[in-house]
Amino acid sequence: VIWPVTERSEPLIFSEKRLEQAMIEDRELDIWREQWSSVAVPPAVGRDQLQQIQKKIRRQQLGFVLGNVVAAIGFFGTMIFVVMIPRLEPQPLAKSTALGISILLTMVFSYRLWVQRGTYRAEAQSTRAFVELWRKRVIARLRLLQLGMYVAPAWIVFCAVLMAINRAAIAPDVDAHPMYWLGALIAALLALPVNLYWVFWYRRRKRAELKEVKKILQEINE
Amino acid sequence: MNHASSTNLPSIDGEATLVNENRRAWEERFSRILGEHGPAISRLAFSYEMVASVREELVQEIALAIWQALPHFRGECSERTFVFRIAHNRGLSHAWKRRPAHEPLDEIEDADQPIDPRPHPEAQAAQIHDRARLMSAIQSLPVAHRQMIVLMLEGLSHAEIAEVAGITENNVAVRLNRARKALKDALGVKS
Repeated sequence: VIWPVTERSEPLIFSEKRLEQAMIEDRELDIWREQWSSVAVPPAVGRDQLQQIQKKIRRQQLGFVLGNVVAAIGFFGTMIFVVMIPRLEPQPLAKSTALGISILLTMVFSYRLWVQRGTYRAEAQSTRAFVELWRKRVIARLRLLQLGMYVAPAWIVFCAVLMAINRAAIAPDVDAHPMYWLGALIAALLALPVNLYWVFWYRRRKRAELKEVKKILQEINE
Repeated sequence: MNHASSTNLPSIDGEATLVNENRRAWEERFSRILGEHGPAISRLAFSYEMVASVREELVQEIALAIWQALPHFRGECSERTFVFRIAHNRGLSHAWKRRPAHEPLDEIEDADQPIDPRPHPEAQAAQIHDRARLMSAIQSLPVAHRQMIVLMLEGLSHAEIAEVAGITENNVAVRLNRARKALKDALGVKS
């Protein structure tokens, strides 16, 4: 066999140095691996741990079912309420309130579906795909919060306008039960700052999360 | 006709039995996966969480995620890759929730250290110290480097690492070099 003669690209001394360096690195890796594999670990997964995991799985499945049941009851309950109000009380105020609630519900659900598109996927994906999905989810949540910030004051303005238009119909009831109406007004006014405070607090948290997720994504893409 | 259709289509009882059998098969598969990859999951959890009690919770969270993802696993990748993907993704979420994840060397719990059968206490102490130093250094690395190092130490091939991280195989080599250098820096070793 005649081996092709190739020109040596670097002096022999450098190759030896590289070889030596590679050997040092391999030895180093072996030491790290040895240290890493000797980290204390539980003996596989014990029976107790398996039972705990199964308990958690059952709890999570129950939570999932309950969550869906509560959401369905809430949605259909509100829709029934919306349909029933104008039948029970055929006044313009009741009709407008029912219309307002149904518009609000439809808007919030549609927007929720729209901003969360592309985020319904399991997490058994590569780290890059997972982090990208995570970023999408945080952005979707931030958009929902943004909507909440506009909807809450808009809802109060809507109610105020509605009452102003129907003041003639409401006036006798306000005169008959002034404390009830005052209480309702104070509760509505207090609910707004509380709601906004929560929205701002949650938004700050989500923004910090988004910053972190972007940092991780940048690290992955570098 | 009716008889034929009743033999072709499973009855309600038959369907229930089928569901139960499927569930039992999943449970067996799940237990086997945890049995095979349990130690690796625990070590991986170590790189994201130093506190033993919280780490145990993280391991359970990972197991839970594996259980949830198992019905959708169609063998597109190896089982090991599947497990490491889920474990790392859960680890990432955990690290975010538990910021700052990195704790100083002194705070690593002594209870986590295994009992070494070697008689020499000084050698044992040195071994424990070196291991704690390595763990602490790994925890201090940026997420991307940390993942590369952990997967390398677990003995995954470049192709498997690429599948877990979602990058190309060529990129793995470059990243592993960078991660190794970062680990050396964190350990204070001269390159």
